[in-house]
Amino acid sequence: MKKNRLSDSIWVFGDYRNYFQNRVTLQLIAKGKELAKELDKQLIAVVLGDQVHQYAMEYVAHGADVVVAGEDPGLMEYQVDTYTAVLARWVEAFKPQILLAGATSFGREFFPRLAKRLHTGLSADCVALDVEKDTGLLVQTTPSFGGELLAEVVTPDHKPQMATVHPGIFRELPHDPDAFGCIIYPEIGPLPEIRVKRMRTRPQQTHDIRLEDAAVVVAGGIGLGSKELFGMLSELADLLGGDVGATRPAVYAGWAEEERLLGQTGKNVRPKLLISVGTSGALQYTTGIQGAETIIAINRDPNAPFFKIADLGLVGDAVTVLPLLLDALRKRV
Amino acid sequence: MEIVVCIKQVPDVPTVRMDRERMTIIREGVESVINPLDYIALEAALELRQKAGGHVCIITMGPVQSEVALREALAVGADQAILLTDPDFAGADTLATSHVLARAIQKIEPFPDLILCGMQTTDSDTGHVGPQIAEELGLPQVCGVNEIHREGKFLVVKRLSDGFVDTVKVTLPTLLTVTKGLCPVRDLPLGALEAAFSTKDVLEWNMTDLDLKKEEVGFAGSATQVRRLRTPPPRGSGDIIEGPPDVLVGHLLRRLEALSILDEEDEKK
Ligand SMILES: Cc1cc2nc3c(=O)[nH]c(=O)nc-3n(C[C@H](O)[C@H](O)[C@H](O)COP(=O)(O)OP(=O)(O)OC[C@H]3O[C@@H](n4cnc5c(N)ncnc54)[C@H](O)[C@@H]3O)c2cc1C
Ligand SMILES: Nc1ncnc2c1ncn2[C@@H]1O[C@H](COP(=O)(O)O)[C@@H](O)[C@H]1O
Repeated sequence: MKKNRLSDSIWVFGDYRNYFQNRVTLQLIAKGKELAKELDKQLIAVVLGDQVHQYAMEYVAHGADVVVAGEDPGLMEYQVDTYTAVLARWVEAFKPQILLAGATSFGREFFPRLAKRLHTGLSADCVALDVEKDTGLLVQTTPSFGGELLAEVVTPDHKPQMATVHPGIFRELPHDPDAFGCIIYPEIGPLPEIRVKRMRTRPQQTHDIRLEDAAVVVAGGIGLGSKELFGMLSELADLLGGDVGATRPAVYAGWAEEERLLGQTGKNVRPKLLISVGTSGALQYTTGIQGAETIIAINRDPNAPFFKIADLGLVGDAVTVLPLLLDALRKRV
Repeated sequence: MEIVVCIKQVPDVPTVRMDRERMTIIREGVESVINPLDYIALEAALELRQKAGGHVCIITMGPVQSEVALREALAVGADQAILLTDPDFAGADTLATSHVLARAIQKIEPFPDLILCGMQTTDSDTGHVGPQIAEELGLPQVCGVNEIHREGKFLVVKRLSDGFVDTVKVTLPTLLTVTKGLCPVRDLPLGALEAAFSTKDVLEWNMTDLDLKKEEVGFAGSATQVRRLRTPPPRGSGDIIEGPPDVLVGHLLRRLEALSILDEEDEKK
């Protein structure tokens, strides 16, 4: 295969909004590079905006062989119509094999439209990507039925093979300031009229949480029984230098913000340590946490399914165990 | 305002169980419901009709049994229902599904001002179908909407997107996908479902009615294929400790030390 070619390569869509929190593009560059090595292709990041050079440089420093960049004042806002128009044009010109984006709100709104325009397949919110041995096809593992089932999907006869990928699944490569790559600026072409006009944008409260990046996550479920007991998790997290997560019922109870939800419909975390208290271990929840290196469970029911996946299971009542644990830790750290 | 709502009948998730040997869904005992977010889309449509007049038409693509979902939507107050059903529609991915739905919407007269979809379904969970219908029909789209206001020829809508609350103004006709928080779901009035079965008609369109060819729909018209289904990989279980709270806490502290999250204690307590 001809390696140094723009066409036939693996493309990752660059989503640099909230650059310091949203690392999914960097995660995909790392994973894409792995796939590119296996398939003997180039890893290309695509970036659109009004001033993108610094992001293009970042993508090179994080492993992109080439960055395909488009700079135009009309691309300043992430808009489905304009982004679809430009990317569809470039895909038709350069014919990538594989095209990936993070399953952010924007990625999940933008990629279906792009896939339809390109008349190709798309899988949603993937949790694994692999190369199929005999065919070289991209195997896209996507959850269905709220994570109960994983479907392995391929796109055999259409190009590119497209997928959105759940943030936090793959690990980014370290920043290498000496990395060498090239940045090209193909012609953008005419942009469509704006039919969806942004009037106001304000940050959602607590959007600054970086749960996905925490080394320690302390998660609580409805078994904690009260907002007060759930509140103790914050202190526990502080003492361990971590952050707080929650199950769906705990979020519904109003003990934690939606942003702290872990699991299939929430965030995926891969901390060094996860401590989960008063959670039964429903699959929809555990899919979001099983990437943790070590899982410690506290539950008063010895038969809780969660004990089946915990590295250390403590059968006990959170009402007594948590305050005791906090006391011990306050003395220690 | 003429509104089309796309609804899908899905298995009621709490009743779904897996056959872990054969990696399939156990069909017996599984109840079917209208996808929860589609129900919200339907409610939103009825509310808009109340304010602006017009009609609400419900469409679904699915096996003949999906007629039940349409009847339920009629019972809640929809004006018209169309079932898109054909043996060849089976096995469709989102590309093929959106093609059939878009073709059906083109056939509806007059062409709607607004098309509503759920943001995603609970079974396939992709959220692709809405934007893909919009693309085929050449309409603007806004996904994840949780507030809709009409302002003349525009809609002003709110949505949550990646930690931001966006307020956007979109031209009609348009397609929106909706999420929870849009409006409360009302209960069915007593007897309404029976009435919907006896009085209102459900139109039925097949491949020929929609002037579609076999290779454009269902499995043949799909770009993706499912290679296999599996359950998430199991994690082995570790030590399970029972005992009084101080013993449990002791175990936990020792584990934190082993992981270097806590420094080792120099002297014994
Ligand atoms: C489509 C779909 C998607 C979903 N997505 C998600 C998701 O993304 N994330 C998510 O979390 N859930 C999700 N759910 C819900 C999920 O199925 C479970 O209902 C949920 O995870 C259970 O939360 P829990 O463990 O807090 O509560 P429970 O299952 O009620 O468990 C509470 C546990 O606490 C224990 N307990 C009670 N009192 C005490 C005490 N004093 N001390 C110690 N232990 C105690 C009990 O023994 C029990 O095991 C989803 C469901 C569906 C249908
Ligand atoms: N077979 C179908 N018939 C009608 N509407 C559908 C169908 N499949 C999906 N939709 C609509 O598209 C939305 C998103 O579905 P999905 O892309 O499957 O997550 C749903 O909430 C429905 O509004």
